[in-house]
Amino acid sequence: MTLFLQQLVSGISIGSVYALLAVGYALVYSVFSFTNWAFDAFMVVGAFGAFYAITDFKLPIPLALLFAILFTMLVSVFVERMAYRPLRIREAPRLFMMISAMGANMSIINIINLQFGGHFRNFPQITGETLSVGGIKIGMMDVFAAVFSFITLILLWIFLYRTKMGLGIRASALDLLTSGIMGINNDMVAIIIFGISGILSGVAGVFYGIKYAVFPYLGLVTIKAMIASIIGGLGSLPGAVVGSLLLGILETLVSGYISSEWRDLFTFSLLIIVLLFMPNGLFGKSTKEKL
Amino acid sequence: MKKLLSILLVALLLIGTLSGCSSKKELKIGFNTQLTGPDSYIGQAAKIALEERVEEINKAGGIGGYTLKLITYDSRSEITDAVAAAKRLLEQDKVHAMIGPEWTGAAVPIAQIANDSKIPVIATTASNVSVTVDDDGNVYPYMFRTCFIDPYQGYALADYAYVDMGLRKVASLTDISAAYSVGIQKYFKDHFEELGGEVVAEEGYQANDQEFRAQLSKIDQTDAEAILVPTPTYRDIALIAKQGAALNMGVIYLGVDGWVAEELLEMAGPELEGSILTSGVSSDQPQFAEFNKVFEEKHGIKPNVYAYYALDALEMIVYGANESLKAHNEITAQGIRDAIENMKDVQLFTSKMTMEPDTHNPHNKPALIIEIKDSNWHQLKMFEPES
Repeated sequence: MTLFLQQLVSGISIGSVYALLAVGYALVYSVFSFTNWAFDAFMVVGAFGAFYAITDFKLPIPLALLFAILFTMLVSVFVERMAYRPLRIREAPRLFMMISAMGANMSIINIINLQFGGHFRNFPQITGETLSVGGIKIGMMDVFAAVFSFITLILLWIFLYRTKMGLGIRASALDLLTSGIMGINNDMVAIIIFGISGILSGVAGVFYGIKYAVFPYLGLVTIKAMIASIIGGLGSLPGAVVGSLLLGILETLVSGYISSEWRDLFTFSLLIIVLLFMPNGLFGKSTKEKL
Repeated sequence: MKKLLSILLVALLLIGTLSGCSSKKELKIGFNTQLTGPDSYIGQAAKIALEERVEEINKAGGIGGYTLKLITYDSRSEITDAVAAAKRLLEQDKVHAMIGPEWTGAAVPIAQIANDSKIPVIATTASNVSVTVDDDGNVYPYMFRTCFIDPYQGYALADYAYVDMGLRKVASLTDISAAYSVGIQKYFKDHFEELGGEVVAEEGYQANDQEFRAQLSKIDQTDAEAILVPTPTYRDIALIAKQGAALNMGVIYLGVDGWVAEELLEMAGPELEGSILTSGVSSDQPQFAEFNKVFEEKHGIKPNVYAYYALDALEMIVYGANESLKAHNEITAQGIRDAIENMKDVQLFTSKMTMEPDTHNPHNKPALIIEIKDSNWHQLKMFEPES
C-alpha cells in the first residue's frame, strides 16, 4: 500500500508539470488550431533564464524566477511575431505553422546549446527537505512545484472566465474569423495567448530545472505533455489538466508495478485507445466548444 | 545583374575547386563526435583538445611534410547521424583515419563502413565487446578502440563490491536502450552471483529519461545495500542520486566509466558520497593536473575523459602515420592501420598502449576503482587484468 501511495504521489507531482505544458498546448490550439512545437524551447529558455539570473546576475531566487518567467513570455511573443504571424496573415495552411514552430524550436535550442554548452547545471538548491507522511516521501520542492502549478492554472481560469479580455479570447477560440469581424483584435489575442503560454512553459521550465537539472534538452518532456493534452481533448483546458495527471500517474504505476521498460508502450497505447473510442479526447466535447 | 551574379558564382566555384587541387600534403583525420544533442558535453571539450593538439603538431612542422587537418562532424548523439558522419568522412572526405564515435550503439554499424572503405576507425569510449569483433569473435580489421571492454569493467566492479566492500545484495537500474549499460549489468551480475552475492532487483529506464522515482521507490522496498547504475552518461546518475536523496534512500551507488565527468560532482557530489565506480582514467590522476589547469583557464570548460581518450586516439594515428612514413615513404590509411594493429608500449596521452592484434582492444588496460569522497574522485585500487 505504501508503495502504491508513493507511486501515486510521484505521479501527481510529475503530472502537475505536464499539466502546465499541456494547458499551454491546449490554449494555443484552441484559438489558432495548430500545435505550438516551440514549447520545448520555451521551457529551456525559462530554465536557463532562471539559472543565469541566479548565478550570473545574482538576483534573489524569487526575483530570478519572476525574471525567467517574464523573459520566456517575451520570447514566446517574439516567436509568435516572427515565425507565426507572417504565416497567419498570409493565410498559410496550419501545417506550415507547425513546421515553422519546429524550426523556431530547433533554432532556439541549438543557439542555447552552442552558446552555453550541453552540460548539466545544478540549480542552486532552494530546499532539499523531504516531507515524510506515513512512509510516503516527497521532496518539499515537488510539493511547491505542484501547488504553484495549480495556482497558476487557477489564475488562468479566472482570467479566461472572469475578465473581459478572457471573454474576448474565448470568443476567438470559438471562431477566430467572426470574432475578428466583431471587433476583437486578433493580433492582440495572439500576443496574449502566446504571452500566457510563454508564462506557462516558463514556469514549467523553471520547475523542471529545479527538480532535475538545467540543460539544453530538458524540453524533451514536452512530447509527454502533448500526449496528455491530446488524451484530455486537444484544445480543452480541464482536459489537459486531467490528461496530464492521468498520464503522470499511469507512468509511475507502470514503472513501479510492471516495468519501466513497458512505460512508453503503455503510454502510447493509451493514447491510441483513447483516440479510437473518443476521437476528441476525454473532454473534447465538440470542436466548437473548446475553452 | 543576374549575369554578374552568375559570373561571380562560377568564379567562386572555380576558386573552391582550384584551392582543393593544391599540392600541399595533408594527413586528414576525421572526428565523429557529439557536439549537439543531449550528450554534447562529450564532444565539446574533446573537439577543442584535438584542435589544439593538431595546431601544436602543425606548428612544429607536421609529420614528415604532411600537415594535419582535422575534420569534425556532429553526430548529435544519434546513431543515424553518427553513421552519416562516418560515411561522409570515410567515403567523401577520404580521411586517413577517423576518431570516434564514443558509444557502442553507433560504433557497431560504423565498424562495417570502416571495413568497406578500408580506413582505420578508432572508437574512443565504446566499450562493448562487439565494437571490434563480430559474433564469431573475428576481429574487424579496421576498427580499434582506446578504452577497456565492458566484461572487464563489470567483472572488476563485482569483485570489488563483493570482496572489498562486503556487499551481498545489490539492485540494478539499467539503461535498457544502451547496449553498453545492458552489457555491464549482465557481466556484473554474472560475476557477483558467481561469488555468492545476489542481485535483488533489476530495474530499467530508457535514454533521456529524467524521472526515476518509480523505480527507486520499488528498489527502496527491497533490502539492497547498493544500486548498480551502469549508465552511459553522468546525466542519468546525477538525476538518480538526487531523486534517491529526495526519497531519503540512503544507499550508495556502484558505477562505471560512463559516470566520469566533473559536472557529476558539481551536480550530485554529496548525494553520491561513498559511491564506487570503475574507470580507465580519472581526471584526479596527478599526471593530468597541469593539462586540466591550463585547459580550463584557456577555454573556460573542464576537459574530461572523452577529451583524454580522443587525444589518445589522435596520438595513435600520429604514431601510425610516422610508422607508415618509415615503411612506405608516405602516409596511407592502410599503413596507419597496420602500425596501430601492431603497436607495442607506445606512449599516448593517458598511458602507454599495446594493441591486441586479434581483438583490437588495448592490452591489459587497467581498471581503476574510484570512490567519490567529499565531492571528488579518489582512486582506491587498480585492477590489472591477468594476461
